[in-house]
Amino acid sequence: MRFRSSFRWGAFSARVAGALIMSLWLVADSVGQAPVEDGARIYQQKCASCHGEQGQGVAGVYDAAIFGERSIAELTRLIERTMPEGEPEACVAEEAALVARYIHQEFYSPAARIRKGLDQPLQVELSRLTVPQYRNAVADLLAYFTPAPSQPKADDVEPGLRGAYFASEGMSKANKLIDTRVDRRLRFDFGDTVPFEGLPKEQFAIVWDGSLLAEHTGEYHLRVKTPNGARVYLNLDPTSGLHKLRDDSAAAGQFPLIDAWVGSGTEREETARVFLLGGRRYPLRVEFFKYQEPTASLLVEWKPPHGVWSVLDSAHLSTATVGRTFVVDVGFPADDRSLGFERGAAISPDWYAAVTNGAVSAAEEVVNRLPLLSGVPPLSKEQASDQAAHETRVQKLQDFVVRVATIAFRRPLSEEETQLLRTRPFANHTQPEAAVRQAMVWILCSPSFVYSEMPGAKVDDAANSDTSGLPSSVVANRLALTLWDSIPDAELWSSVEANDLTSTANIEKHVWRMINDGRTRHKMRGFFQRWLMLEQRDLTKDAALFPGFDEAVIADWRRSLELFIEHVVWSDSSDYRQLLTSEELWLNSRLRQHMLESGSASASVVAQDSAMSELEPEAFSPSILETDRRAGVLTHPYLLSALAYHNNTSPIHRGVFVTRNVLGRALRSPPVAIAFENDEFPADLTMRQKVAHLTQDASCLSCHTIINPLGFALEKFDAVGRWRETEGERPIDTHSEYETEDGEVVSIGSARDIARLALQSPASQRVFVAQLFQHLTKQTPASYGPEVLANLVESFEQDQYHIQRLMVRIAVLAATHQATQKVSNTR
Amino acid sequence: MTQRHRRQFLRDLGLSAAALPFLAGLPSIGLGGVGGSNRRQRFIVFFSPNGTLPDEFWPKAYGAEIPLQLSAMLSPLQPFAERMLILKGVHNQILGDGDNHMRGMSCLLTATELSPGNIQGGGETPAGWSSGPSIDQHVKNFWQSQGETNTRFGSLEFGVAVPNRADPWTRMCYAGANRPVAPVDDPKLMFNKLYGGAQQRQLVGSVLDMVKDDLRRAEQRLSREDRRLLDEHLHSVRQLEQDIAAANSQAELVHPEPEIDPTIELINDNTPQISRMQIDLMVNALANDMSRVASIQYMRSVGEARMRWLGVEEGHHSLSHEPDNNEAAYEKLKRINTWFAGELAYLAERLASTPEPGGDGTLLDHTQIIWVNELGKGNSHTLSDIPFLLLGGGAGFKTNRALDFGGVPHNRLWLALAQAFGETGLQTFGSVKYCDNGPLNLA
Repeated sequence: MRFRSSFRWGAFSARVAGALIMSLWLVADSVGQAPVEDGARIYQQKCASCHGEQGQGVAGVYDAAIFGERSIAELTRLIERTMPEGEPEACVAEEAALVARYIHQEFYSPAARIRKGLDQPLQVELSRLTVPQYRNAVADLLAYFTPAPSQPKADDVEPGLRGAYFASEGMSKANKLIDTRVDRRLRFDFGDTVPFEGLPKEQFAIVWDGSLLAEHTGEYHLRVKTPNGARVYLNLDPTSGLHKLRDDSAAAGQFPLIDAWVGSGTEREETARVFLLGGRRYPLRVEFFKYQEPTASLLVEWKPPHGVWSVLDSAHLSTATVGRTFVVDVGFPADDRSLGFERGAAISPDWYAAVTNGAVSAAEEVVNRLPLLSGVPPLSKEQASDQAAHETRVQKLQDFVVRVATIAFRRPLSEEETQLLRTRPFANHTQPEAAVRQAMVWILCSPSFVYSEMPGAKVDDAANSDTSGLPSSVVANRLALTLWDSIPDAELWSSVEANDLTSTANIEKHVWRMINDGRTRHKMRGFFQRWLMLEQRDLTKDAALFPGFDEAVIADWRRSLELFIEHVVWSDSSDYRQLLTSEELWLNSRLRQHMLESGSASASVVAQDSAMSELEPEAFSPSILETDRRAGVLTHPYLLSALAYHNNTSPIHRGVFVTRNVLGRALRSPPVAIAFENDEFPADLTMRQKVAHLTQDASCLSCHTIINPLGFALEKFDAVGRWRETEGERPIDTHSEYETEDGEVVSIGSARDIARLALQSPASQRVFVAQLFQHLTKQTPASYGPEVLANLVESFEQDQYHIQRLMVRIAVLAATHQATQKVSNTR
Repeated sequence: MTQRHRRQFLRDLGLSAAALPFLAGLPSIGLGGVGGSNRRQRFIVFFSPNGTLPDEFWPKAYGAEIPLQLSAMLSPLQPFAERMLILKGVHNQILGDGDNHMRGMSCLLTATELSPGNIQGGGETPAGWSSGPSIDQHVKNFWQSQGETNTRFGSLEFGVAVPNRADPWTRMCYAGANRPVAPVDDPKLMFNKLYGGAQQRQLVGSVLDMVKDDLRRAEQRLSREDRRLLDEHLHSVRQLEQDIAAANSQAELVHPEPEIDPTIELINDNTPQISRMQIDLMVNALANDMSRVASIQYMRSVGEARMRWLGVEEGHHSLSHEPDNNEAAYEKLKRINTWFAGELAYLAERLASTPEPGGDGTLLDHTQIIWVNELGKGNSHTLSDIPFLLLGGGAGFKTNRALDFGGVPHNRLWLALAQAFGETGLQTFGSVKYCDNGPLNLA
């Protein structure tokens, strides 16, 4: 009880501190058309003595200025419950509403503050491409010029790789095609038998073709195990033609990532590493042959970022054929994150050196594949001394360079730029390839490429602008950056050329098309990683306390969380509320077993769900293992484990996360840093008792009265996210009284209670919308106008919290935003 | 390619002749201070495939005191006859899995058996990679382990028209058991490996002025706040310019890098040009002491190169199968081997015309070349009487003669080389059972 009472004190002290924080429940604005003067009068009578004439505060009484993002309705609630300090009943109902409206319009809201000259309006800042944007832009620039490989009809695309099974004859491995089939995972043990009737037991060969989906950007490790012969080609150029499958014939210009073709009488393991951009498919080909060995088997595994070694499986393999993607794999210094999100706000010599290295490697790729990318063949032998043929070729390559620059700069070039590109590199070189190489480096180092958008870039075709005066090319560039972190594709360019990015309807049509792209999915994965604070978490636990919670289980939980989120975001309802309330957990066979062994799931539920996992144990499917306990991401074991100590839960970590990122409440940094030392507490205390004791100082409590109840509500989930009734022998008390942003005290005791709080809180949606906005645009919402955030939050609610619609709104808003005139000439 | 063209290519790479003294080399280039008793030694393996024509290759007379008489087929090497040593009666006796081409190739420099494997040759049992390291890699490891003989690369493996695949017919160098070393058969890749840093700096440096112009144009359109980023950008560009200048002046090459056509296609008909580029790159790398071990592999065992530049339309390997009495084929094989001898002579000539940096004589005086082949004779597939031809003064062997050892394992030849290169305690190399009686006496 001692702890409970200290809570009430804390809640009270928070009110005394008068912290204007957040509010609850949307209340209809009942004030109607009451004159603003009434609000002003009441404010002067009842509020100004503490808060000052313009809300600026009064020294020694209440120092802090009052301003923020709350709506009038939220302010009304807060005033009704808490103001004036000590006698909140003195300003309620219509009076509270009048005061709220008055301060909102006079000095509280961002719009009011700019109107009254209290704040300077923010502007969209000139920025360079972020590192992911740079890498994607280079990849898509080259992809723009890469002819698409012939594609099977969409209906024929299946998960897995298409395998062609051949009878071999000595050196001729693909001697006779016996059959084809789609193989969903690359794990085969044929023993001493054959995969197909009709294949000779002694010697056969298999070729698998298709593509591999990389979900994350980073280093991918691949591994082949076989006692036979195998090669893996990843990110090959499927358009350049592949070799015959013989022991003694050369592969045409293709370099295997892994070459384990030659046996040595035993099973071999070969590994390789490759850097890939997330959200993309890469062409994949695996060749295998058996020749006289007693057995035949093949295992192709990978270790993706955040993953452990696992079989290449149907969730990542597809029979779809795709073109090669050039990936800049030079290292870059990290982007600026001083505002909490990555943005291209600074240029350092290191960054610029990396950009030039990337440009050189991209130029090398272009020159190596010049006939394919430019469509300009090399001169034939007969033409070698033909000056006219040489000049025609140079002209075509100049055209190519100008087209590359146009796509790279995301706008039509000026006459001057075109002339410079056609002349400067070509004047210095007799070899046109050398000129193309230099031109490529120039283009990729140019500010027009490396900056997100050059303000006021002079575009020669003045007609090419929409009603608001924005050229279609600017709109297309912003859409591609916002949704893909990349440059416009061919479809956007055809709209630019037709000048039809002129209406919101047309733009929206593109946006809905664009968000179905893997690059958008990848970008959204990055957003959730940030919102849920998943970066650089060490989930390792005390192995004696949490047996079985190993690297593989941790990786599976991460994927489970990602799959759950993607299932919600990319479903038709795309409902944000599902993220906080769903009871589903996505499980594969390893996680089912883990949950079963730890008593979190009943055997019957697990058995029921695991029918298909016999065939594909790595495949995930949604399960509801427990009812009335789980609440979406809030109780996902990955998150609960990340927000815990290696040997115990951490209500403070969990509480801070919920406070800031789920409920959107501001917290100050702790006034004193206090380390939590588990061993310093008597062993018979619960975690809750320890935390309450640790944070009992008044200086702690102003925040911990908020943090602790939220953390305590999750105490029935242990340090690895499993349900528990007791902590050791001691019962767990999850109930607390929690004071909402607008001063109401409510009783909470579970994750589902937290979810309810979040769904009723505009601040909760505000933090979600604001972070998504920042992640997509790399700018703050306020840079687009003081009311942008409030308007987006309002429409989010009207859209039934539809996440995709929110993305569309943000993309359209950013794409069509017109900066108020900056002073462009200070000379 | 004419001289003028080559210079143009050089300029296209951004490497103008005026800039040569500033081109970056690497820290391993401390060419002045080699004095003392340890003279610098180098080792080059020169490989051509599909056997030789014994009657045209072997000299008529053998013996320590008989000056070497070269046959017509080897006539391009005549200027170097006094610096040559031809060894007859040295056999590749390695048995086990694999056909003679495979063992001929992958046991030639390794002198040990192939691992069992899955590659079926023309008859006999299938096999895999060699089960041990090759002599060039062995020497490299020894020299790299000694402070004085350590170089940036240790060894360089060149290829000419080697097909892009890895199997026992295409690999003669091995870092160890089942660890083949791939030859680099693209002069452009080799150039990048040797001089890539400088080349890249030149390329980047060539666009920085244009980028600065771009930035100045952009600046005029920007507000004062936005110029901060542009200033940072300009500062970074200038920093890069300074870095490039500093890197370029840091290390200078004693020998400017050779001229490489950056656009040459790796096709059969360009083989003669590619061969010369690779040799130029090799000699240059040795002169700059980037490496002291090098190999150059022409085609591969069972290679079917069509040497149209010699007026030969048939594939080399098919020709080598023709019986001795097929006069047309015999004459063509003679032309082919004369061409290889000519390439070897070009290598020797380049070495002989390069002064030994900081030392006496020429590079050739300090370099041991050995010309090898995976077979003794093409149409018999014999691994006996491998045509071993030593050239140069690197190992200190007595030259201007031919010796006939009458049938000894070639392990003993590699032992002799290893000992001559300073590993005096080495008692066996490759398969131990072929090492009786120790190194061949070549002094």
